[in-house]
Amino acid sequence: MIDTMQSAKVANAERFERFGISATAQTASQTRDEFAAWLRESFELDPIRSSDVVLAINEALANCAEFAYLERPDTGTMDVLAWHDAVESTITVLVSDRGSWRPPVEPSVRTRGRGIPLMEALSDRASIETSDHGTRVKLEWANVAPAALRSRSAH
Amino acid sequence: MVSESSVDEVAIVAASGVIDMLTAPQLEEALRAALDKKPGSLVVDLTEVEFLASAGMGVLVAAHEEAGDTTRLCVVAEGPATSRPLKLVGIADIVPLFATLDEAIASLRG
Repeated sequence: MIDTMQSAKVANAERFERFGISATAQTASQTRDEFAAWLRESFELDPIRSSDVVLAINEALANCAEFAYLERPDTGTMDVLAWHDAVESTITVLVSDRGSWRPPVEPSVRTRGRGIPLMEALSDRASIETSDHGTRVKLEWANVAPAALRSRSAH
Repeated sequence: MVSESSVDEVAIVAASGVIDMLTAPQLEEALRAALDKKPGSLVVDLTEVEFLASAGMGVLVAAHEEAGDTTRLCVVAEGPATSRPLKLVGIADIVPLFATLDEAIASLRG
């Protein structure tokens, strides 16, 4: 059953899904670009907001690619699920892996460890849940209108 | 894409496009090569950068530390994808940040 979910690519006005993608820098970069395209096509966001959302998702993906599977020789996978709630006008993004995160690097290491502060600063709400089964980053943005509403109201 | 040039003894490393965990090593290499020449001043010009991830920000902070007292290093960036996140996570407080290359060069000369 899990196999049928592998490499599923869904992107429509309400949802963006990537399940079982490999947790690598290459895939993180590609998925970020695909997510950015979905965002651009589906929603009315100003350049600052749009930029914030894409960078926050990038950091969540990059953390998976960089840290989640450090203790394993093979490359693990990650899942991305994003959806728009039309009633609440929110976008929620979940990025999850089945690895183990390293704790955030010490503040004295100034060149690293900005992914989590960035996600928190760029989103309206950010949470990170870690368990024995993996890590799930949840990012939310409020007051996001779908692109369709904009074109309708313009006429 | 990273290129190197100089204006009036100010070394300039200019990057364009995407700086993420895939491409940050290129910028890191270019900055290391530029710093190896021990210029008095080095400008990292991110004017043409469309996307800057934390991997790239780490490279900037590392280069600034490596520059030490030998090289005055500053960054040129302006916009939601570059100067905004640099300010949000406090890198603009560590590394001098200018909106334009002209402003950066003027400051280094002054």
